[in-house]
Amino acid sequence: MHNDTIGKTVGVAAAVCVICSIFVSGAAVYLKPIQEANKTLDVKRNILIAAGLLEEGGKTDVGELFEQIDSAVVDLATGEFVDDIAAEDFDPRRAAKDPTQSVAIDAGDDIAGIKRRSNYRVVYFLKDGEKIKRIILPVYGKGLWSTMYGLLALDADMTTIKSFGFYEHAETPGLGGEIDNTAWKALWTGKIALDADRQPAVRVIRGHVDKNSPEAVHQVDGLSGATITGRGVENLVRFWLGREGYGPLLKKLSM
Amino acid sequence: MSKVKEALFDPIFKNNPIAVQVLGICSVLAVTSKLETTVTMCLAVIFVVTLSNLSISLIRNHIPSSIRMIVQMTIIASLVILVDQFLKAYAYEISKQLSVFVGLIITNCIIMGRAEAYAMKNGPWLSMLDGLGNGIGYSIVLLAVGFVRELLGSGKLLGYVVLPLTIDGGWYPANGLLLLSPSAFFLIGFFIWGLRTWKTELVEKEN
Amino acid sequence: MKPLRYILDRLEPYFAKGNKLEKLYPVYEVIDTFFYTPGGTAEEPCHVRDAIDFKRMMSAVLVALIPCVVMAMYNTGLQANTAMAEMGISEVPGWRGMVLSWTGVGCDASNVWADLLHGALYFVPIYIVCMVVGILWEMLFAVVRNHEINEGFFVTGLLFPLTLPATIPLWQVAVGITFGVVLGKEVFGGTGRNFLNPALTARAFLFFAYPAQISGDAVWTAVDGFSGATALGVAAGGGMAAVTEQLSWLQAFVGTMQGSMGETSTAACLIGAVLLLLFGVASWRIMASMLIGAMALAGLFFAAGSTTNPMFTMPPHWHLVLGGFAFGLVFMATDPVSASMTNLGQYIYGGLIGAMVILVRVVNPAFPEGTMLAILFGNVFAPLIDYYVVRANIKRRALRHA
Repeated sequence: MHNDTIGKTVGVAAAVCVICSIFVSGAAVYLKPIQEANKTLDVKRNILIAAGLLEEGGKTDVGELFEQIDSAVVDLATGEFVDDIAAEDFDPRRAAKDPTQSVAIDAGDDIAGIKRRSNYRVVYFLKDGEKIKRIILPVYGKGLWSTMYGLLALDADMTTIKSFGFYEHAETPGLGGEIDNTAWKALWTGKIALDADRQPAVRVIRGHVDKNSPEAVHQVDGLSGATITGRGVENLVRFWLGREGYGPLLKKLSM
Repeated sequence: MSKVKEALFDPIFKNNPIAVQVLGICSVLAVTSKLETTVTMCLAVIFVVTLSNLSISLIRNHIPSSIRMIVQMTIIASLVILVDQFLKAYAYEISKQLSVFVGLIITNCIIMGRAEAYAMKNGPWLSMLDGLGNGIGYSIVLLAVGFVRELLGSGKLLGYVVLPLTIDGGWYPANGLLLLSPSAFFLIGFFIWGLRTWKTELVEKEN
Repeated sequence: MKPLRYILDRLEPYFAKGNKLEKLYPVYEVIDTFFYTPGGTAEEPCHVRDAIDFKRMMSAVLVALIPCVVMAMYNTGLQANTAMAEMGISEVPGWRGMVLSWTGVGCDASNVWADLLHGALYFVPIYIVCMVVGILWEMLFAVVRNHEINEGFFVTGLLFPLTLPATIPLWQVAVGITFGVVLGKEVFGGTGRNFLNPALTARAFLFFAYPAQISGDAVWTAVDGFSGATALGVAAGGGMAAVTEQLSWLQAFVGTMQGSMGETSTAACLIGAVLLLLFGVASWRIMASMLIGAMALAGLFFAAGSTTNPMFTMPPHWHLVLGGFAFGLVFMATDPVSASMTNLGQYIYGGLIGAMVILVRVVNPAFPEGTMLAILFGNVFAPLIDYYVVRANIKRRALRHA
């Protein structure tokens, strides 16, 4: 039979499509559970690192460790916990785009450059019995080129920073990308995030922090050659600790 | 030289898809800042180009010429999706770093080019070897670029510190240019320069 | 001079074809023609683009650069001495301190000679490293490719150090000029065939490879621990108000401020520009159109204003005297090899660069200065611009005779 008859053309096209789709859908269906598990594992791993339970690149059993972590959905405006939504089912990135689940931020308040924020967010706790030992807050905001996603862990006093790091960003490698540098991340530990009036007070400054200055507890060295990334980090931390972010929640928990 | 040898070894240096034909260089820029992602990408491309050449050659006598590009594309795309799904399931960290670039293998000109130029005209065995040879030729350039970029850009090889960086207290000042994609252009240029100096028959005659 | 001629003539046979040192003939040749008029005549029909020869053109540029070099040394010393006085340091560390105390001029910022000497102690080592490494590469390529060594490098070798901050590590100077000479010029066939300006290529390489040593706050003044941004950096952070607080326009014009060594003084560049135009080696079309392009766009931004971007507050006449604009305009954009050749093309080329400088400075958040990037961008477009200008000419003439 000649190859270019209509019948053969349709036949070959159909056969190729059927065979290819069997392979593709087979793989997709068979591998999906493993991929989903990877995704949740990745999120959990980042949270455990922020909680100080896991070394970066550590290979311990994440599932078991994660049992020590509690999660809760928070209504950001009031700082109240919301019981009727399960933390696992809540997708903050989708919610932030959905007008029914998010609010627009005034340009003046939007220092993190995110335009809208979801009404709810999931936060994580490391507890000792009923007492909160550490709270882990997902934060994000604009850097120089990209939106930077990170986790900020605060101590039980809701103001001392225990750890801070980003798990997703696309800043300039070698300059802004140094926000991933362990030495720089370590500078955040022990800094006081809020001032006496419980307003965000953290600053990323140019050059080195003067250890004798009374402001030193609020300040972190800037990254050289990455002024704008540094400013972005400062702004997103200030935004999320402020009244538009987790401010109401932190106020409640610290009382 | 026998046809088998020719199909397998020609694309490695003499007719290297990147350095001689200058095809498929987009992925060289994108994935070579670390050797680990580079190796993964190379394996993925070798897999796709070998199997796409094989399967297209197997059915080459039945493909109607009016839809031949689409048939090739469908097969290539399916193979790429397989690879992508596989990486997401078994090498999640690396697949996250490679992000869209695994999917973009579909648009890698080498694969479509070999299917159209070779697999449509030759038998399955030779086509498969040609695919493998081109995959290896592609990989050699990629690995060379990835090696230099990771070593001089971040002082590491496969994630292990080789040259301790000044910012971590060592002596080697990292070369930031090599962390940026355009640096791969320079390195490919050096590779082509070296190759043409070595194999002078590649240099075009002056007209 | 006779004995020298005698020695050179005696040596020549050793370098002639078929003899021991045949490979090193280019080295011999460059020394010979450096002292004496070349004996060779063109054997093929040559393509004259200009009435003066290459050597004279290069000498003219070197002479025009003298004011910039002097200002570079003076200002480097002035900034260092001023900063030392501010920080209460009186001793310069290391070998520079030894030289300074040996001469006894001290570190008084108001003493012109002290400033010049202190600055020279930074400029001269950079210049020497740049020349030695650059000439080594030139020789290597000349020997391997069997062509004559070209004097073009004398200009590149002086331009490049002037675009660097005084504190640049010397090994980076060596790596940078290597990149500039090899990738900016030799891979394309040497002087005259490069499409990028080699000095700027070298600087761009350092800028992206080692940003910490060529941008930021700590590098501009040659005193350890002193931190201060360039005027453009200040403007990008705090707008014009922050600039005028520490700097007057006249001061910026004279060039007593922080920046790369040769770029701060618009006045010195202006003298250089006059000399270049008098000698007839630089294109006034490029200079004029680059100036107009920059002024136009800067004026537009200034008039438009912005609430979020402080760079919009910089008036056009300030853009002229800050950063590398004047230096790039006079010495880099006019490089005849990498610029457009056609008259109309030169207007377009200059205008494009001028506008790009301002666009990068004002709109791009990552780079406060855009002159280097804009000129390299213009270099890349120059052949294309020429191509279309020539095509348009051909078309017009064809129509006329049709």
